[in-house]
Amino acid sequence: MSPLEKIVQTTQTKSLQGDIPVYGQYTFGVAGERFFREIKDNARIMGATCKSCNLTYVPARLFCERCFNKLEDWVDVGKRGVVHTYTLSYLDLDENRLDKPVILAMVQLDGAYGGLVHRLGEVTPEKIRIGMPVEAVFKAKAEREGSILDIKYFKPC
Amino acid sequence: MTAKIKEWPGTPLRDTDIKEKKVLSTEWHPNLKYAWDCGVGYGRYFAELKNGKIIGTKCEKCHRVLLPARAFCELCFRTVDEWVYLKDTGTVNTFSIAYTDVQANRIKEPQIPALIEIDGSGGVGIMHLLEEVDPKKVKIGMKVKAVWKPKAQREGAITDIKYWKPL
Repeated sequence: MSPLEKIVQTTQTKSLQGDIPVYGQYTFGVAGERFFREIKDNARIMGATCKSCNLTYVPARLFCERCFNKLEDWVDVGKRGVVHTYTLSYLDLDENRLDKPVILAMVQLDGAYGGLVHRLGEVTPEKIRIGMPVEAVFKAKAEREGSILDIKYFKPC
Repeated sequence: MTAKIKEWPGTPLRDTDIKEKKVLSTEWHPNLKYAWDCGVGYGRYFAELKNGKIIGTKCEKCHRVLLPARAFCELCFRTVDEWVYLKDTGTVNTFSIAYTDVQANRIKEPQIPALIEIDGSGGVGIMHLLEEVDPKKVKIGMKVKAVWKPKAQREGAITDIKYWKPL
């Protein structure tokens, strides 16, 4: 084969392959730490109240994004909320087809401003309605590790 | 700290705080891979290494050998004229004695990276390692020969040559 000859068979080409070994580790910050600790230790969903704006933020955070006041009043907002919006996903994260869809919903917790994006369970897709009341189902205490997945899913209530 | 600032604002964290699970965290391990297309010149160069041969290309206009093989002569910008097999013997052009490995760990037995001018190439060299030699006895101008991996273990890379030893 001369240097000018065109390569027509791709098996003749060669590439050098390798892995790039990097990973990320993310800590949740001061408010996030406390929020996830409450989920892990007490199975409680916490919000932070801004008295001047009369809002309770969920997830709880350090500052009010409207008036920039520091938020020091933390409240347990309970496990209940309503489906604000939802979607049915027939693809997993690697774009594989799923027979049974994963139901993802934005759950607005009762009395709170904002909410959690999470899965819905113990419900069939046909029965879901926007505004439907739902309730968080937590993992057993021993299985909780301080992650949003310590909540298994939200179920109708 | 400075004269004015006794304590920086914020919440300091250490590695050990995460490792000892004093703070919660989430890890992300992306699956990152790369593939570098060798092209015509390097592609055949690596393929021939798998066969236990060193191949270069020749530019007739500049009267020189290009090693590793390349498709274009970077001096006259022409496509090279032909492939040329070279011997797996050469001469040490320069060398170093390294007492640290690539992760900067101290090592007792030094590695000896060297630039080896390949015989018949007109003075073109490749970077590789010397072994089976006392570091004190390595000399510039020393004749060396490639020690190849067994054929079954070769994968088409410069590491198919294990090292070079004195001839």
